[in-house]
Amino acid sequence: MQARDSEFRFLFVSRLAFVLAAVLGCSAGNLLTLPEHLRPDPFGGIVEADRTPGVAPARSIVLEGARSSFVSCHLLAIMPQPGEYRLDVGAFPAASGLQVELYREWFHYLPKTKNYYPDALVPIASQYQSTLPDPDNRINKQTAQAFWVDIWIPAGATPGNYRVQAVLKADGKASIVPIEVKVLAAQVPADDAVAMDHNTYGTSWLATDYPSLAASAGPDFFTSDRFFELIQAYHRVFYENRGVFHQLGYGHGGKVGPEFAPRLEGSGKNKHIVDWSLYDRHFGPLLDGSAFAKTHFGPRPIQLVYLPINPEWPASFLWWGEPGYEKEFVNVVSEMERHFREKGWTNTRFEMFFNHKKRYKAFPWDGDEARFPNDSSYMLEYDRLLKLAVPSASPVKFVFRADSSWTLTRQAKELAGVVNFWVCGQGELAYQPEVARMLKERGDTVWTYGGIPVLTEPSSHITLQVLRPWMWGIDGFVHWLATAPGPDPWFAFQGGGETLIYPGDRFGIGGPLPSIRLKLQRNAVQDLTLLNEFRGTQPIERLRAEAARRFNGTEVKDWWSPRPSYADKDPLDRTNADEGIPEGPGFHEGLDAGAWQRVRTYVLELAREVK
Amino acid sequence: MRFISVLLLSACALPLMLAAQTSEDRLKELGRVARAATAMVDGDVCLHIQTRRSIEFLQKQNSRDPWIASDNFDVDHAAFIQTKKTLMRLARLCPEACDANLWMPLEGNPQRIQILIRNVYEMSSFWKWGDLHQPMPEEMRRVLTTGERVTFRGKRGMVSVLAPVYDSLNNIVALVEVVSQEKRDLQENVK
Repeated sequence: MQARDSEFRFLFVSRLAFVLAAVLGCSAGNLLTLPEHLRPDPFGGIVEADRTPGVAPARSIVLEGARSSFVSCHLLAIMPQPGEYRLDVGAFPAASGLQVELYREWFHYLPKTKNYYPDALVPIASQYQSTLPDPDNRINKQTAQAFWVDIWIPAGATPGNYRVQAVLKADGKASIVPIEVKVLAAQVPADDAVAMDHNTYGTSWLATDYPSLAASAGPDFFTSDRFFELIQAYHRVFYENRGVFHQLGYGHGGKVGPEFAPRLEGSGKNKHIVDWSLYDRHFGPLLDGSAFAKTHFGPRPIQLVYLPINPEWPASFLWWGEPGYEKEFVNVVSEMERHFREKGWTNTRFEMFFNHKKRYKAFPWDGDEARFPNDSSYMLEYDRLLKLAVPSASPVKFVFRADSSWTLTRQAKELAGVVNFWVCGQGELAYQPEVARMLKERGDTVWTYGGIPVLTEPSSHITLQVLRPWMWGIDGFVHWLATAPGPDPWFAFQGGGETLIYPGDRFGIGGPLPSIRLKLQRNAVQDLTLLNEFRGTQPIERLRAEAARRFNGTEVKDWWSPRPSYADKDPLDRTNADEGIPEGPGFHEGLDAGAWQRVRTYVLELAREVK
Repeated sequence: MRFISVLLLSACALPLMLAAQTSEDRLKELGRVARAATAMVDGDVCLHIQTRRSIEFLQKQNSRDPWIASDNFDVDHAAFIQTKKTLMRLARLCPEACDANLWMPLEGNPQRIQILIRNVYEMSSFWKWGDLHQPMPEEMRRVLTTGERVTFRGKRGMVSVLAPVYDSLNNIVALVEVVSQEKRDLQENVK
């Protein structure tokens, strides 16, 4: 989990010494390493956002981690002159169970800042051959290729020290980086301390992002096995990186993608489900967990899934306010409950969630981020219908989710006992710890939502989104859109504020590629999950206080905002221009790349005590 | 020989003729529904759909709040639901999947128009996804000024027939777009 303090000494050499060494000793090829939070650039240095005075790539690294977790670092193959090279990362002894997973880092060109940042991770074999400059990445005068090293420490690994070598061969010479892994007895629990969720909408973008796959499947792509395998691959990439994946299956006008719902026939009292086949092909392996059989974390059903319920499905809005609406809703949702029960899909929470907004002109009320007071009555009616449809003793878990911002304070009170899964605007919840406490005390699930830090922000910024929910005592965070890399992520990238994965299609891979930011987030989740375990031996307040101090020199109270003046306005009189009370710089521009590493040091200090 | 050539030509032309026939049939059906829309949609009710407050915000701009108009978009629920249900019933007259959408010009700005009610297939030859209002297409201006029904062939095989909606003073206050698509994209607009 960490390049230990002693090893950091290796890093504190000057760039000048490094360059001299490269020129004098290893002009053919030089293999160096960096800890995970210092992202390399394609010229042998560290990207601007992560640069720390006096820190440079090193010749060895020691990583330390608990069992059931990953440890990670970068490798840099540096060649002052163009040419071929070969990288060979050795394997740990089979008995150790430790597994190396190697990725080539893609350097994205950002026209806005006119520089390169690595993010997409292309999986490669442990023996890899290529040339510099990389012919695919096409960077003028590129002298360094970076690689991400993930090392999986399985639950059954014996605590101790393990070593492996990475060897760069170029022009007949070899450059070696020893990688040492210290395996602790501590074990990262399977259930995360906070849920990091990754949201997306529909599936049409899959055909755009995977033109080769779509073309090979032909006109039936959206009903093909390859399509459903692709969806499952998306779930898998997030699951493997300790995340949740949500895919909303209907539009603002109520159009439901056929793969997101059973097929219905009839009207009024005759409306029923007639075909589960597409739904079951889509969700079956996700709901029984078999889609995750070959992952490090093993086959577990997905935690959550959106239902296709919306004002137009399963009941036609034509009957809204009439007996037929209730009949259609209750009949179909009852059949769904029965199907899920018979299939044994009782570990996943099925979410009734209304995403539509009246601004999209299909329905007269806002389901998402409600703002107008007379919209709440619809939520009460759907709660009534859901309770009619689902037997109270059903083992199938139906939940009522609401994403709330403008009227969070009001909705949290009005919808008590109705909504039990809250996804709150972060800015709104930030000044209302009493609302967070009230929701948690009544047993509701509470998340917040927001965007994704772009590549040009320091690498630690994504970990702020992991730590904040835990500091607040809530359950998770949603990246509201995490699968949209934009029209050209490879050579004209817009920064990645809406993606944590990349389509593998251009590399001949029929699935998503993870990113460095996703891996950094994952490592933070596993650290935090381990830290959270120590609440059994010491007060959680103490754990939070120390994590905050190390992360950005703050106290726990600094993580909540003072109440802004706009909070007392009628929500209808508020605008997005209303200014809240800004957080300290330690939450923004003052948050350095090393912030999470200091938290990790703390976690490891505690973990080393575990026998 | 000539007979065989004629036979072959006929065989080749038949699918095209059938397609043209299907397209013509579709247009005729849409036209019938559009004509019914003029009779059935109540223009006075349409005038009450968007709230006065929302109309006042519709063209407001704030450099510090780009969503000021959409965040304040609101409707009278009863007027909206009554009109939407009429549109949904009209769409049921189509022999194949179609939507009947309501469009209304912006008060005080005849250069712009807004879609005010959409429906379940999320089809339109004119609406750009997410736009609160947009420049008035020439075809719509024609409907609103002359009362003619206008046919428009949009992108991705969409065909729309536009029909006027009158209020009790015989003013054209809105129009209905009855739209279908040659081959429906089942995944589009699921977002």
